[in-house]
Amino acid sequence: MVLPALLLLGVFVYGVGSGIIQGFGIMPFLDRTEFTLEYYEQALTRADLLGSIMFSLYFSFTSAILATVGGVALSALMTRARTGRLTRLFGIQVPITTMHAVVALAVICLFSGAGLFPRVLHVLGAAPDATSFPSVVGAPSGWGIIAVYLWKEIPFIAFMTITIMMNISSTLGEAARTLGAGSARAFFSVTLPLCRGAILRAFLVVFAFAFGSYEIPFLLEPTVPKALPVLAYIEFQDPDIINRCYAMALNGIMAGICTVLCVVYYVVLQRDGKRKRGRR
Amino acid sequence: MNAPLEKRNRQTLLEKRKRQMRRATAIARTLVGVELALVALPLLVIVVWAFTDAWPWPDLWPQAFSARGIEQALSGRQNMGWDTLALSIGIAAACAVLTTAVAALACRALCHFQWRGRDVFQFATILPFIIPSTVFAMGIQVVFLQIGLARTVPGVILAHSIVALPYAIILMTDITRAAGTHREEAARSLGAGPWQMLRHVTIPQLLPGIVSSLSMCYIMSFSQYFLTLLVGGGRVQTFVLVLFPYLSGGDRTIACAYSLVFLVVTFAVFLIFELLLRRFGAREEGSLYG
Repeated sequence: MVLPALLLLGVFVYGVGSGIIQGFGIMPFLDRTEFTLEYYEQALTRADLLGSIMFSLYFSFTSAILATVGGVALSALMTRARTGRLTRLFGIQVPITTMHAVVALAVICLFSGAGLFPRVLHVLGAAPDATSFPSVVGAPSGWGIIAVYLWKEIPFIAFMTITIMMNISSTLGEAARTLGAGSARAFFSVTLPLCRGAILRAFLVVFAFAFGSYEIPFLLEPTVPKALPVLAYIEFQDPDIINRCYAMALNGIMAGICTVLCVVYYVVLQRDGKRKRGRR
Repeated sequence: MNAPLEKRNRQTLLEKRKRQMRRATAIARTLVGVELALVALPLLVIVVWAFTDAWPWPDLWPQAFSARGIEQALSGRQNMGWDTLALSIGIAAACAVLTTAVAALACRALCHFQWRGRDVFQFATILPFIIPSTVFAMGIQVVFLQIGLARTVPGVILAHSIVALPYAIILMTDITRAAGTHREEAARSLGAGPWQMLRHVTIPQLLPGIVSSLSMCYIMSFSQYFLTLLVGGGRVQTFVLVLFPYLSGGDRTIACAYSLVFLVVTFAVFLIFELLLRRFGAREEGSLYG
């Protein structure tokens, strides 16, 4: 029963693994089998690496945290407002269905120099010309990237949490309110703690996705620093195939950061679970 | 002596409470409305731009409209047109069916059976969440080249299925656990064969999970750029591969026209999934409980 899934996951692990060992200079298809740390050394001593790591971490953390807060709020508001199916379809499913890169295009149409938002500001008299508005493409603060992820991931987090939240709110939340808790209190001390697992999982998915994807930073990032996946792909495309080892070393660093963060997440979750059980 | 007073107090308290609740609901409604507007705004801008011919600064509305963008997006020039669209839909549909079937089996094993290595397997299923798909794409390219799957449609489907798998498993785990095995056991004790059981018991009770998994995998595959680029090697031209260069390019009308076609196609397929769910879901539910 698990065989097909194991097969797919096996291909995944094999693909990632063969990439990682190329980072150590091992490319069997080119008869290179000698283990070396040279490429990691090169990658780690690169002047712009730290900037790239920080930039990637910065925009993915910011997006993931804001999206989680927003998504949980949206989910709670929709539960509270008892929204109909159509509202949920439009407010949650439509953004999930829309491709990330298309959202990036919309953000460019809205906020770039000649976009709609600067035009509105101009009409209101706040912006004298097209260049007075801070550009969204290539902004060092990465706010365009964050805006795209928020538009996409707030509904995604709501999607991942709304079913469980509706269930809890209609059973245990209702019980808390009957016992005299205000709606806010019922939400923060009953519904929210019970949704924690789902919320944390959704946060992790969004963070890892933002950290490891190529399209959005490629379309909206500044020239320096570049996001890690973009940096790795530039090296990967180099005509000299040996240069791939270098790209793979960058990939190894990227995978390493993700793994470390996930281990931290699991340790926190496990310890938290133990503490709760102990209290009981 | 104080009883009537107390009763009145309680009544005003209740009324106050009710009023508060109503106000909270109204505020929640308004905020949800704001969210809907924020969702609509970027999509509307894309729609307007797709038909724009000239839109000089600082006008708030385009000066002239034209259909040249949409015409090019559907004309078949530059590798684009119905062929590409059909190929993309085919790949996405195959990926959705494959991934959902695999995920359904995996969820069954995870929820209903105790076996050695289950925890390890469960951890393995979320690996594609943790390790970025860009790392996977760059690593798998050489492997697929060696075994002849690179630049082929099956290779692209396989790669898409792998990154969609954890989403499908998450979407199906809860419902598989909730469905349990008691209905299947009842059916078996009533003499149902394996196919009958699958068709009349197992699939209907998992249907909402199956449909959301199908549509999620479909969307993921249909909008996958980087992985398709590396595994397809430019030979497998999906819609997104044609669309992407326009996004960073200069002609905004063309870019928005392609995006509009993309939005319409994904959403149409998504609606079909929803309608199917409602139709079959309602019928089977009726026969199950009726």
